[in-house]
Amino acid sequence: MGRSPVYLDNAATTAVDPRVAAAMNECLTAEGVFGNPSAAHAYGREAARRVASARREVAAIVGADPASIVFTSGATEAANLALLGSARANADRRRHLVTARTEHRATLDPIRQLEKEGFAVTWLTPDRAGRIDPGAVRAALRPDTLYASIMHVNNETGMVQDIAAIGQVCREAGVLYHCDLAQGIGKLPTTEVARHVDFGSFTAHKIHGPKGVGALYVAPGARPWLRPIMYGGGQEQGLRSGTIPTHQVVGFGRACAIALAEGASDSARMRELRGALWRALATLPDVLPNSALDEGSPAILNVSFAGVEGESLVAGLTDVAVSTGSACNSASGEPSYVLRALGRDTELAQASLRFSLGRWTTLDDIERAAQAVRREVTRLRAVAP
Amino acid sequence: MNAPDPLSPLTRASFASLERAGRFADSAGVVSGEAGSPATGTHVRFHLRLAGSRVAEARFQAYGCPHTLAVANWLAGEMAGRTREAPWPGAPPDWAARFEVPVAKLGRLLVIEDALRACLAAWPETVE
Repeated sequence: MGRSPVYLDNAATTAVDPRVAAAMNECLTAEGVFGNPSAAHAYGREAARRVASARREVAAIVGADPASIVFTSGATEAANLALLGSARANADRRRHLVTARTEHRATLDPIRQLEKEGFAVTWLTPDRAGRIDPGAVRAALRPDTLYASIMHVNNETGMVQDIAAIGQVCREAGVLYHCDLAQGIGKLPTTEVARHVDFGSFTAHKIHGPKGVGALYVAPGARPWLRPIMYGGGQEQGLRSGTIPTHQVVGFGRACAIALAEGASDSARMRELRGALWRALATLPDVLPNSALDEGSPAILNVSFAGVEGESLVAGLTDVAVSTGSACNSASGEPSYVLRALGRDTELAQASLRFSLGRWTTLDDIERAAQAVRREVTRLRAVAP
Repeated sequence: MNAPDPLSPLTRASFASLERAGRFADSAGVVSGEAGSPATGTHVRFHLRLAGSRVAEARFQAYGCPHTLAVANWLAGEMAGRTREAPWPGAPPDWAARFEVPVAKLGRLLVIEDALRACLAAWPETVE
């Protein structure tokens, strides 16, 4: 049996850390902590204790008070709660929103929905590197602006936004700030995030935690602006009804604790590997980086290969698991809207690969991947007219 | 790992080999035709080396998805020995069925057909 393909799609999802899986496993069976954390009996109280502990671990990674963490099914639901919940709660007062064209669809789609519901939206365009100028955010704000939503780390290119500056702009204007934190957690220092944002959405499965659980950080001052988008048992301070999945939340907490303890060393190693990958790919002619090489997320390298069609490139890379653009929308076959917004033409946007590294990526993985990409790009270019 | 391949076995094999890729040196007995463009995601060019009234050998060049490359490669192999009256086998729906091409990609097979028709237009009525 041959070797498994090299996995370089960690921005799409990560494998669960065995330490996380072990913690989750303690909360599933009859011998474990399976009770409903809302129940008053001993089983429930023990589950509630585990959930409270996990809430502290999740809060710590964004530097927040545990009471400001709302567990959700993932970052998409967390973003929907913040964006739809605050807009609909304040529709009679503020009907203008600000965001960027390069946001994840978990942000874009709810805001497009709000646009259909009558909200005015200012869509910011980043510079060619993907940066959103905090001054552009300031210029876009109006007296009736409710919030700005600008992500921390772009999921396709790894570009990092200055969320401290954007947060200050919003704070000075009395405007709420939602930030998609999904790709920054565990890769960049985030323990100051709660000082800068009003709403922060993130998820476990990008940091070697389980799929199906995420969180919305809600700053204390932002809580009155928010109302739920689903109703039921009133869990999570009434903001997110539904039985709290103890095993998922415990896994999320453990993943955050590990990321907090090991994230700096993981990131330093990933940055070295990312550099090695770029140097190996850059030996090919007409290779264009879509990521900022000296800055940006240490985990993401996005590259366009001129003269190569993206789908064929991915299909030919049978030994390497990578994405063309965002895995969340790659099924569409359309060129990446993020790269198009950065000014790349359709051909270059289609001919892009996103390599994303994780905790267990090795130099051997990088060398295998680079060799396979060089071989396939050369083959496909030789076939092209 | 035993994940299903999104490409059919026939498509995978043809895409992996692309043994008919290339072109011939310009000469009197060689005709070419092309269609599409990189900007539209599909660009196909066929080259036929003619011998009398028949195709002696065919080559192709293509920029496009795996199905485009696989079908063009197969067609280039199928054209040897064919006449001007029936220079290639079948039509895009037949190729789509053979290679299990998704319906959404049928337009790309039409680009291949257009490139073949351009070849046919360049094929002189009589070849020495």
